[in-house]
Formats: sequence, structure tokens, C-alpha cells
Amino acid sequence: MVKQQEHDQHPAMHPSRRTVLKSAAGAAALGTSGALGAFSELAFAQANLRAEITKIPGVGKGAPTDADWQKVGELCLGPTKASIKEGEFKGVELSFMGLNNQNLHNLLFRGFLKPWEAYTGARISWIDLAQADYNPRLQQAIATGTVDFDILEMGAPFEGDVCGKGLASEMPDWVKKQIDVDDYVDYLKPPVGTWNGKTYRVTIDGDCHNFNYRTDIFSDPTLAKAWKDAGNSTDWGVPKTWQQVQAVTKFLKGKKIKNQNAFGYLDAPKPWGGFGFYFLGSRASAYAKHPDDKAWLFDIDTMKPRINNPAWVRAIQDVIDALPFEPADQLNADPNTTGFQQFLAGIGSMIPWWGDIGQVAKASDTSVIGDVVAFDILPGSDDVYNSKTGKWDKLSSGPNHAPNCAYLGWGVYVMARVNGDEKKHKAAWSAAAHLGGKDLSLWMVMYPSGFQAHRTSHFLYDEWVAAGYDRKYITSYLNSQLASYNHPNRAVEPRIPGIFQYYSIAEDELTKIFAGKVDAQTGANNIAAAWEKLTDQIGRERQIGLYKASLGV
Amino acid sequence: MRLISMQNSVPVSDDLHHQPAAKRARGSRKIAGRALVLLASLGFLLVLFIQILHTTGTSTAGFSDWRPILIAYPVWAVAFGIGQVLTRGERGQRALFLLPAVFFTVAVVIFPTIFGIYIASLDWNLSSIEGPRFSGFDNVRGMLNDTYYWNALGNMVFYTAAVLGEYAIAFGLALLLSAEIRARKFFRVVFLLPMMLSPVAVSWMIGKSLMEYRFGPAATLARYLGWDNPAFFASPWMARFSIQAMDAWVSIPFIMIILLAGLQAMPKEVQEAAKVDGANGWQSFWHVTFPIMLPVSITVLIIRIIFKLKLADLVINVTAGGPGGATDTVSSFIYRVYRDRSNVGYGTALAMVYLLMIIVLLTVLLRLSKRWTQKIV
Amino acid sequence: MTRSTLALKPVQRRPAAPRAKRTLSRVLIYAALLFWTIICLFPIYWTVTTSFKSAVDVTQAHLVPWVDFQPDWKGWRSLGLSPDTLFGTSTARSEFANRFVNSIITSVGASLLALILGSLAAYGLSRFRYKFAWMRNDDILFFFMSQLILPPVVLALPFLVLYKALALLDTRLGLVLLYTLTVLPIVIWIMRDQFNAIPIELDEAAFVDGLSTWGAFLRIILPLAVPGMMAAFILSLVLCWNEYFFAALLTSTDAKTLPVMVASQTGSQGINWWSMAALSTAAIAPLVLVGIFLERYIVSGLTTGAGK
Repeated sequence: MVKQQEHDQHPAMHPSRRTVLKSAAGAAALGTSGALGAFSELAFAQANLRAEITKIPGVGKGAPTDADWQKVGELCLGPTKASIKEGEFKGVELSFMGLNNQNLHNLLFRGFLKPWEAYTGARISWIDLAQADYNPRLQQAIATGTVDFDILEMGAPFEGDVCGKGLASEMPDWVKKQIDVDDYVDYLKPPVGTWNGKTYRVTIDGDCHNFNYRTDIFSDPTLAKAWKDAGNSTDWGVPKTWQQVQAVTKFLKGKKIKNQNAFGYLDAPKPWGGFGFYFLGSRASAYAKHPDDKAWLFDIDTMKPRINNPAWVRAIQDVIDALPFEPADQLNADPNTTGFQQFLAGIGSMIPWWGDIGQVAKASDTSVIGDVVAFDILPGSDDVYNSKTGKWDKLSSGPNHAPNCAYLGWGVYVMARVNGDEKKHKAAWSAAAHLGGKDLSLWMVMYPSGFQAHRTSHFLYDEWVAAGYDRKYITSYLNSQLASYNHPNRAVEPRIPGIFQYYSIAEDELTKIFAGKVDAQTGANNIAAAWEKLTDQIGRERQIGLYKASLGV
Repeated sequence: MRLISMQNSVPVSDDLHHQPAAKRARGSRKIAGRALVLLASLGFLLVLFIQILHTTGTSTAGFSDWRPILIAYPVWAVAFGIGQVLTRGERGQRALFLLPAVFFTVAVVIFPTIFGIYIASLDWNLSSIEGPRFSGFDNVRGMLNDTYYWNALGNMVFYTAAVLGEYAIAFGLALLLSAEIRARKFFRVVFLLPMMLSPVAVSWMIGKSLMEYRFGPAATLARYLGWDNPAFFASPWMARFSIQAMDAWVSIPFIMIILLAGLQAMPKEVQEAAKVDGANGWQSFWHVTFPIMLPVSITVLIIRIIFKLKLADLVINVTAGGPGGATDTVSSFIYRVYRDRSNVGYGTALAMVYLLMIIVLLTVLLRLSKRWTQKIV
Repeated sequence: MTRSTLALKPVQRRPAAPRAKRTLSRVLIYAALLFWTIICLFPIYWTVTTSFKSAVDVTQAHLVPWVDFQPDWKGWRSLGLSPDTLFGTSTARSEFANRFVNSIITSVGASLLALILGSLAAYGLSRFRYKFAWMRNDDILFFFMSQLILPPVVLALPFLVLYKALALLDTRLGLVLLYTLTVLPIVIWIMRDQFNAIPIELDEAAFVDGLSTWGAFLRIILPLAVPGMMAAFILSLVLCWNEYFFAALLTSTDAKTLPVMVASQTGSQGINWWSMAALSTAAIAPLVLVGIFLERYIVSGLTTGAGK
């Protein structure tokens, strides 16, 4: 499937009878104003469309502006025009709730949807939330019945709360076709985005933690020599396991690179609204996620927390051991700090993060490391914990890797309250489909938007290079993501109701552990006890069922 | 609605006004007044009744939301006020000063308070499928065992004690500004500015940018002064002081203005007399200025303490509770429980208990300060 | 104004202190003033300059424009307020303008309402003795003050339910009512001190002239208290302008205010320091202007009652 697309998109590079004929047919079609039908027009136009939109404004040419977003939205209106008549939704008013994160997300959507609004005649009003307010606002709106929005930008973890309560509208088949749901990468296909077998989500984002590291530090000859001098038998290079990460971190403290203090791995011990827990998860997944076991956070049949099993405790202990070797104020660093104030500004040599780092490192001017950063899947571990036997296993296939598919990414959902009005229903889904469109999504993942690659069609490296990305960089970046998405032992986020509450409770206790007030095992036991209490409060039987469903069991 | 007791047997000048308070209203006016109040009350109750029936589904007539109450209530309040004037004459006119504020406040807080107390008795996690479950005092019992809550309370003791430091600095500034200096207007405006920056901006621009460990100006200054590793938020006490410093920066102008006003209203003859008696600066301050400023000081300290006990924004944004809970405040903890964990029953209960504690504390403070003021003055 | 300046002239009666001592004290006073000025101004200067920095300058924390770094319109451009984007369409700018207007309406509205209700109540509490059930003046004051105590976060659900029922969600009126509640106690306490300082003799003189209670209040006392009301107004304005929690909770599209937009500048792709700084500067600017123009009332206003 990928190869075929490559063929179609580079007719000049791989001319064949088929492509030449197609182009000719397309040209003829354009010449006779659609005599051959809209479909052939689309096929020809699409070849150029993706190249065209990704050149607006061009990578490295500054941040895209409002005008750019509108232009891209206009150009991607094709699929909408194919199924909707002009002015069909005149008089329809929709409200859209989403984030306004640094003038992205919702502001981006406004730009994309302006041409859509102009074409269809609908009007959209916007509810912008700051990231920290998102979860509470959503929960409280649901609880008090003040759901005053028709379309929602939401993260997959919250599907339990929204879809589970029947507040979302089911995706119509025409939308599935329009956005080509088969194009999604494997881990974003159902059960993600579905609830009880029904699809609700227009995926616009894929999320996983990858491993970001500094190439200059790991290829520095002075450091290589010092590493050998310190008695290490292995070569100096990028760590592939957490054990190596720890060793490198301890080694790098006090060393200098380019006259700056060098640091190794950067932990994010400060709470970040629940998101900070993912970073411990990235540390722990290789220890805790056994290839033979689907679960890694809770036991499948009982929802007994695994947070205090030896695997997780070892990860927590790793953090405790590494902290003295990290910058002095690291206790006050949340992931935002480690990613953007530290790593991108040149401090530290390894962090796990979502793909935002890769997206921003080259394209944004906050970064000073654009040329010396590379990517990989998360480090593995020499041994992995087996929950069933209670022992640590050494796998015959080598170190155990378990990429952390954290948060699963943003999606656009339509709320059930439009179901009563057919026109509104169609309008809302049309808007959602426009935002989730295949070509538009390519633009979104190429430029700073807050969204990462999530479709197989995003991984055509030539398109990225044509847009202006450096080939080596983009290959490293996209490979790290693809390898994580498709990894057989990936650790996927459970989409159970209240999952962020578990994370928030854990974060609170973890700060105490990291500040040294309580040791790792006791702290982990406290977390486990609090999680058990929470599961009971939310409803244990239901949680077990949903946990199983989310794991595809 | 027997809110106001009729003090018919009170002597004429029982308050600061020498206006004869017992000027009786004429009989017919009284009847008219009473009738008006009765009519308005009936009307209001009718609207309320219709709406309750409508909401509970017993009757189809009614309005789609409770907006009419929003209109009916002020109408009733106005009628009540007029009725008061008609029935009680002069006393009614006096009541009319206070009634608007009281009616407004009661209207806005009565439902949330009652509903809040109700929620506090529930075990309600917004994600739970069964919804709220009545649990009585379980939440309070849970609170007694909650280490985070007691940790935060301990921190509040520190933060509240620090108010005295803020007060001292503000008083010093107020004294400086009352001295004879040039460009007083400039200094006054400048000293007011910190108060105007929003807490979000303060948390980020100061807490995270200015005090940033590697390059922030505050860190650079600290390194210049000899502190090698100026990690402002990495150790418990340093973090507490940093948070306190930021909060003080924002709040000192508030205390300062009020104290400054009090200073400028102070009779100068008293101060001059003290100087004539040979008192030097410090003595004249301590024995003359300070006692006279006591009532204003107490007012401003009470207000400041109330705000301090609600401190949350800075903590949430800058330290998320601080290294291991060192900077956590009760309000920021409740914030986490209520918002991040959607555990609204428990969170509300925590807040209600906190409210009670503060009320007790303030009552004690007010009584003590009254006694102390009387002793000194 | 003249009265207070008169009162502040140095006393002539006792022998002038030795020159050196006086100079020393003046130096110390000015030094202290200057020190505190720096402390007050530096963070604000920092905020303003950050809005003109480019990204690298922010992370490197350069201090002085044109010396350490080249000023850039980046922060203002992201808001659509830089010279090059000022006349084009900008979603961020229209957002900003919309929220700015809403902030003004809600803050001014709430402050005015609180001022009216509060001044009346304060006058009553200052002059008369009330008795509501068991509550006397001091208890009534305490009742008002206790509205300030509860952390607003736990009022989220009750207010959501209440406002939904009253159809006040996402309305400016709803915000105004709520903000009035939050600043009313402060107005009452400040104005009560204010009225306490106005001698009762003035009231009595008015009665002698034949005015009723309300007449005396409106014609004689109130004009004297106007400067004090200015001060209370400004304090309320500042508090309402920066209110974040309820603004984030109860608004959607029509009534949204500025503080949420400032908070939105942080997110999953880092922190837009320059945008946040630009927004904060734009948010504080009106308050500063208000402060500058009405400053003379803030202090000297509160000193009326200087019938001394």
C-alpha cells in the first residue's frame, strides 16, 4: 500500500504507463471541467496537493501564520466539497471546545475551519481552555449536565468518561470513508477510539514517548576517552538500556561539553497535572511490561495495582539514584521544564518525551540543539519482571523493549446532543472530518501544531524532505515513532474512567519519595493503597471490565 | 422573614445619629407597607412554587429555566425595602442602607452554601459510574487521617506567621512614603505596581523565568553574591521562602496603601507633642504612632491573613506543592483533590472543615485584638 | 490635600537636628525607597522586555535591550499586535480584543456594583446599630468577611449547577454578580473605616438643616467619601481583573476574560515566554494607567475625615 502511494506521488521519478495515462486522464478531465467525474480530478490533484500544502510556509521559514492555516484549510477542502453542497449548512451554529495551548490547537482549528465555514455556511463558536483546566472542566460539565459544546477535542484517556456515559455521537460511515480510517497506524486502530464496538473518534494525533538524545555528546572523543579511562569495557555511545542510562548519567556529572556542564538523563519529578506520571512509566515500562503479559499497570482480573511490584519500585529507585547527578534544581522540574527549558536549551543529554521535542527542535527558535539531536525508541532493559512467576527474566531475544504509548493522542469527537438535528449532525461530523482529513493531517504533523504523526501515510520520508526537513533528522525522528507504534511489546495507555486521577495521586506520593521523605517501596505501597481505594470508589467491577477491553482482552 | 427585630422600646438616641429614631410611621402608611411586603412575598413564593413543580415534573406549566427567579428576587427585595420604610419610618430608612448588600450576599451564597454542605456529605467521584453516594461524616474521618492535609495545615502556620513580616515591611514603606520626600507620586505609583500583575503572570514570569536556575536574573545575582547552586525550589525551606517572597511581593502594596492612608489621617499634633517631649524617632513611633494605627493594622492584618489562607495559584503553578509537599497549601491541596482527582465530595468536605477552622481562628484573633487594643489605648 | 501637606512640614518648634544627622537620614530614606523601587520594578521590567525577546534571548536571560539582545516583535506578533501584523487578520488578536473588552466590562461592572452596595452598607454599619436575629454590627461585618474565606475551588460544582439553572453560564452578568460577591467585603471594610473617620457632627449639621437620613448621606457625607470610594474601586478593579478560577469555569465563548488566555500560553510544546509576557504586559497596562491617573485618590482620598 505504501509503495503504491509512492508511485502515484512521484510520477516524474517513476514514470510508468499507468501513471502517465492517469496524469493524462486527469489533465483531460481538468480541461473538460470534470467531464470524467470528480474522482479522477481528485486523484490527479492529490498528487500535487500534499506537496503543495506542505510547502506552506516551508520548514524553517518561521512559524506558520493564521493566513497559512486558512490557505491550507482551503486547499484541503476537497473531500468536503465532494460530499457537501455549498451553503448546505447555512444557519447551523456549532460550538467547539478544545485547548488553546500556546495559540495552537483551537487557533489552528479556527484557521482550518474558516474556509469550511465559508463554504458550508455554518458558524462555529469556540471554547478555549488552558491545558490545566481541561480535565476538570470536562468532568464538571459532564457531572452537572452543562455540556454546552457540540464538537470536542479530547484525549483518548478520557473516552471512558465521555463515551462510557453515552455523551458522544457515533461516527457515521461516510465519515469513516472520508477520513480513511484504515490509514491509521496499528495502535490507533480499534479498540482505541471505540467504546462497546462503536467508533467515536476522529484521530488527529498519535502519542508515544520516544527517546531524544544529543548526538554531539555521544560522539565526543574527549568523553569517549574519559569513559574508557573510568574503567568501562563498553564503548561510549547512546545507551540502549536503562542500566546503561544510569551509568552514563552518573559518569557525565561534572564533565563538560563545549564549556557547558554536561548532564545525562533528565527526570521530571514534579507533578504536572497527572501527565508527569507518564515519565515514570517510560522508565518503568521496560522493567514492567513483559512480552507475554498484556497488562503492566494493573492485574487484569482484579485491578490490583502493580505500582508496588519490584519492576516499578526498581524504576522509582533508578530515579532516586539518578537525581543527585542531575541539575541541582531538578526536583522542581516538571516535564515542561525538562523538555523545553532544559533539553532544548542545551542542558542534559537524554530525555523521553512525546514527539513534540522532535517537532520543535528544528522548527522552532527556542531550540539551540536542532542540529545535534536524534531519536530512538525508549531504552530497554537487560531483564524484565514476570508478574506471574515473580522473578526477573532474561529474554533470549536480548534486552526487553516496551515503548510507552502514552496518552494516545488527541482526537475530535462529536457530542451526542447533535443527534436530534439531522442537519446539525451532518455539519458537526463534516467539520470533524475536515479536521481529520488525510492531507490536512500531514500538514498538521509537519508543522508545530501539538500533534504527531498518526497515519501510515505520514511516514513517507520523501514528502518530509520535500517540505524542507533534513533527511537524516527526519528519518531518525519518524523511525523512532513508527518503531514505537508498531512494536509488539508496546505498553498502551489504559482508557479507563478516571485514569488521570490515578496518575495525580501517584504524582503526589512520588514527590515525597523523590524528596527523600519516604523510601521507594513504602511510597509505592502507599500509591497502591490509594489506587485500590480509588478503584473501589469508581466501581471495581466496571473498571476491571473496561481495563480488559482497553487491552483488547 | 423576621430578620429585623423591632426595637420599639429603645431610647431615642441609641446610636450615633441624633435623629429621633422612634419617629413613628403613620398608621395608614404602616398598613400600606405591610401589605406591600405581603404581596411581594406571595408573588415571589408563587414563582418559586411554580418553578419547583415544573422542575420536578409535577406540572407542565412553568419556565424552561430558573431565570424568572433572578427577576422575581430583586423585585421582592425592592418591595421589602419600600415596605420597611413605610412601616418603620426612620428605622426603615436606616435599614435600607444595609439591606441591599445583605440581600445580595444572601442570594448569591445561600444556594452554593447549602449545596456545598450537601456535597461535603457525599462520597462523589465524578468518574464513578454510580454517581454520588451519601456517606455522612466519612469524609471528615478521612480527613483526619490525611497526611497531605495536615502537612498543608502545618505549612499554613508558616505562611500566616510570615504575614507579620509582610506587615512590618509594608509599615516601613508607608512610613517612608509619609516622610517628606520628593517625587512622592512616582514612588506611590511604582510601589503599587506589583499588586496589579496577575498571579498567573507572577508565577510564570517571576517564579519560572526570573528565578530560573540556570540563567534567571535572580539566580545570576545569587551566584554573584556567592551562592553556588541557587536552587530556589529544590529544598523544603528554600522553596517555602521563595514562595513566600513572591506572595509578599504581590501583597505588600495592598497592606501598604491601607497603612499609608491610616498614617496620613493621623493627627499631627500628637506626633509633634511627642517630639516636644523629647521622644526620639523610635520611641515616638512605638508609643505614639503604632498604638494609634492599631485599629487600621488589625483590619489590614485580618484581611491579609484571610487572603493568605487561600494562597493557591502561586503554589500550583510554580512548585505543584513543593519538594515533597513542603510548600503545599490547604487550598492548593483541595484544588488537586477537587480538580485533578474529581473527588468533589471529599474536596468540599476538606474546604468546609477549613472554613470552620478559619472562622474559629478569626474570632479568637478579633477578640484578642480587641482586648489588646483596649489595653494599649 | 493642602491640609496633609501642611501637616507634613517639619516641626519648627524644636531645635533643628544636626545637619549631618539629617542628611544621613535623608540618604537612608532615599536609599530604601530606591531599593524597594528596584524590587518592585524589576520583575515588571523583566516581563515587558521578555515580550520583545526572541527565543534564544529568553533562555539565555539577556537583560538590557539593544545592549544584550536585539528587540524583536515576536511576542507582540503572536498576539497580532506588532507593527507588521497590526493591520492584517489575526485570530489571536481578535481573541485578545474580545477578552479584553469582557474583562473591562466584568471588572468595572462588578467594582461599581460592589461600590454601591458596599458604601451603603458601610455607612449603615458605621452610623447605626443593627440587630439581625442575634447579630450585631460586628457580627454582620464578620458575616460579610466570611464570604472571603472559602477557597473558591469548592464552589465550582454549586455554581455550575446554580448558574445553569439561572441561565447565567457564559454571561457577563453572571461573572459580574460573582465578582461583586468576592470584592464586596473588602469595600465594606474599607468604606466603614472611611465613614468612621468622618465626624458625626457633619451628619448632625445636616439634620439641623432639615435633611433626612438619606438626604444627609447623599448630599453631605457621600461627596466627602468619594476619594475613599475611588480607592476601594481601584482595589476591587485589580482583584476582579486578575480573577482566574471562576473565569475559567463559568465562561465559554461570550464572556471569556483575559487571565485564561495568559494561562494558555503554556502547554505541551513548552512555554511561549514572549507571548505570555506580551499578554501580561497588555493585561497589566490598563491597571497601571488607572493607577497612575487615580493614584492621588488612593491615598489622600482615604484620609478625608481630616476635620482635625
